[in-house]
Amino acid sequence: MRPVLSYVAAALPVDIALEEQFTTKAQQRHAAKFGMWCWLITELLLFGGLLLVATVLRVLHPASVSAAATHLKFWIGASNTVVLICSSLTMSGAINASRLGLQTLMVRCMLATGGLGSVFLLLKAYEYYRDYQEHMVPFLDWRPYALPHDHASRLFINDYFAATGLHGVHLITGIAILLVLTRQASRAGYLSLHQNRIEIFGLYWHFIDLVWIIVFPTLYLVNRG
Amino acid sequence: MSLSESLLHRDPAPGRGTIGRPPDYLHDEHTLRSWFFSIDHKRIGILYLLSITFFFVLGSIAAGLIRLSLVVPNGAIFSNDTYNKLFTIHGVVMVWFFLIPSIPTTFGNFLLPIMIGARDVAFPRLNRLSWYIFVCGALFTLFTIVVGGVDTGWTFYAPFSTTFSNTWVIPALLGVIVVGFSSILTGLNFVVTLHTMRAPGMTWFRLPIFCWTMYATSLIFLLATPVITIALLLLVLERAFGIGIFDPALGGDPVLFEHLFWFYSHPAVYIMVLPGMGVISEIVPAFAQKKLFGYRFVAYASLGLASLTFFVWGHHMFVNGQSEVASLSFSLLSFAVAVPSAVKVYNWTATIYKGSIKLDTPMLYAMGYIGLFVLGGLTGLFLATLAIDEHVHDTYFVVAHFHYIMVGGTALAFLGGLHYWWPKFTGRMYPEGWGRVSAFFIFIGFNTTFFPQFLLGYLGMPRRYHTYPPEFQLLNILSSAGSLILALGYIFPMIYLVWSLRYGKRAPANPWHARGLEWMTTSPPPKHNFETPPTVDFEPYDYRDRESRV
Ligand code: HEM
Ligand SMILES: [Cu+2]
Repeated sequence: MRPVLSYVAAALPVDIALEEQFTTKAQQRHAAKFGMWCWLITELLLFGGLLLVATVLRVLHPASVSAAATHLKFWIGASNTVVLICSSLTMSGAINASRLGLQTLMVRCMLATGGLGSVFLLLKAYEYYRDYQEHMVPFLDWRPYALPHDHASRLFINDYFAATGLHGVHLITGIAILLVLTRQASRAGYLSLHQNRIEIFGLYWHFIDLVWIIVFPTLYLVNRG
Repeated sequence: MSLSESLLHRDPAPGRGTIGRPPDYLHDEHTLRSWFFSIDHKRIGILYLLSITFFFVLGSIAAGLIRLSLVVPNGAIFSNDTYNKLFTIHGVVMVWFFLIPSIPTTFGNFLLPIMIGARDVAFPRLNRLSWYIFVCGALFTLFTIVVGGVDTGWTFYAPFSTTFSNTWVIPALLGVIVVGFSSILTGLNFVVTLHTMRAPGMTWFRLPIFCWTMYATSLIFLLATPVITIALLLLVLERAFGIGIFDPALGGDPVLFEHLFWFYSHPAVYIMVLPGMGVISEIVPAFAQKKLFGYRFVAYASLGLASLTFFVWGHHMFVNGQSEVASLSFSLLSFAVAVPSAVKVYNWTATIYKGSIKLDTPMLYAMGYIGLFVLGGLTGLFLATLAIDEHVHDTYFVVAHFHYIMVGGTALAFLGGLHYWWPKFTGRMYPEGWGRVSAFFIFIGFNTTFFPQFLLGYLGMPRRYHTYPPEFQLLNILSSAGSLILALGYIFPMIYLVWSLRYGKRAPANPWHARGLEWMTTSPPPKHNFETPPTVDFEPYDYRDRESRV
């Protein structure tokens, strides 16, 4: 790590380029942030449907859901929660660095964020692999299911795959955007033209984190009793 | 001259004379490229107008065939399967690809930025993207329905759609899901535009009511569409992998699908009807030359409808074994919805009262709208009454109810708005005589088509059936005959509006002597809507000076 001072010395001008439909930059920043919030609310409701299904199943078939939930890999899920929270931390680091015009620090924070996101995906993939090995993939015809007589437990496991899968898709999208953004953001002069894109993306990233923080207890935690 | 001064003149005048004016948005560039890659909200609005007209024509053809089939009681004209596919095409195309996008994406896109004095929506590129998403998703679904034949109806109810229907349900669902994203993006754009792009002086309570209804509609787009997206996605997974969530054989619950479906689709009926209310709230003051009565009530009623609408979905499930407490609550809440709807109707009526009324084509449509909406709304109350719904649920009574609101309401408002703003969109006047004739045809044709369906439903004819007892034939023939008249009423405008593009009289900036920023710019508007960015220092529907003169 370089000493902090050398980053500060490298501070660059921070600004955004005004698009023609806006009158002021403050207006443009406000609109961008507001738009992202609207999108996130929509996304939250999208996951809401799957979480609702999990809750309904729990009410309809409590015993089956508990039986199925004990097969979930609690510790992998918990570790992943920590990983994502750390990635949110590095993302806030990137945002703050971008505000201060510290381009190098920002780019490094963004890379760290992408790295942590990938760790999450790897752990998740391993978890799916273990599920597969333990015959906990009821939606695959060719793979006999571990709890064949407990129909309702299938539903819960299937919902688990749908919810974590959808979250995974969001994370993959997030990492892909992050990589493209990092590439653009490491060019000279980026921060004086598009600083707020880092902030907007940061909102999205925190959201992915937040969704996991809701999904994890709903699927792994409350059904363990 | 400030805008408020110009209001004192007979008409708000556009900035300068014709000479030396920058080219309007239609003549700014001519290449196809400049249309398909345009990020100008006005051009995108026109693209949407063309696309939804295409879907409307398609849906209408399917409807015509359905009516043709129902002329005879024994279902001799089409096979059962063909009939099922026909009403699915009709429902899917009309609801998902015409009614839901209709007014927001066309008039909303074109007018919303102008009405608030902005140069464009907040995210013009996103706006263009949402058109592409819409067209791709809709054409894809259309292709699968026509080639594969989908027979689930527009509601895709499980378990039929998941387990029994052996048609191309998955691709059709995927297309509808994709189109949902285009709605979400449009809604997002409008909400942000209304919050951040209003011109100086354009406070919330100076917005035209049309903007308020766009706001309410956009909120529903944002909050309800994701729920249908996930519900349809679960259907896809169910069909593809048998995940069982809606499958009773595995302990899943098909009624859960209905909950998710109606949690979106009841609000969606307000996506369809609120924008129509907005259009009527513009037309009525302009043709009564009178300030809209109770502006704030109408504005709040729009938000009231947008919130109440999320709590009544259970009225579609009264006979599906939902608990009695739930049914009673949903019934009560559905009655509550009638209040803000009635507020609007009373306000329009009070606006007309003692106005100096001109019965031009848009006003004819508006009057038709009010009458038909009242009938549709009142029969909604019948349906929300538990005991009556037991009897008429899933009969033609329901079909008539929602057609009174969606065709009698939304489609009439759409045509009214199209005539009202046609001079603004195109710079040409439509032929007034033909306009009135076709409005007349539509009103007569509509009632002849759908009123008999109330009677049929009340007598017990179920919906979505291909055959019926012979004693229902008379009413069915009446209904089919009406649909011919209705069709003429739609065909006329398609011809004379296109004709007017070339031969219509050139439109002045404000042919109706109406108020509102859209009438203060040229017809058609320049690329950035106003030659000088407006500052608003006047109240909405400011028709006072006219009244004092009359
Ligand atoms: C304002 C715009 C409205 C629209 C666009 C609309 C549209 C619809 C549609 C599309 C359906 C049938 C759905 C289907 O089964 O395929 C329906 C059914 C129903 N509507 Fe409306 N409606 C509106 C207003 C109302 C109001 C104000 C009420 C009650 C106060 C109401 C009560 C009902 C009920 C209870 C049903 C279910 C009937 C049944 O299936 O037995 N509607 N409506
Ligand atoms: Cu409803």
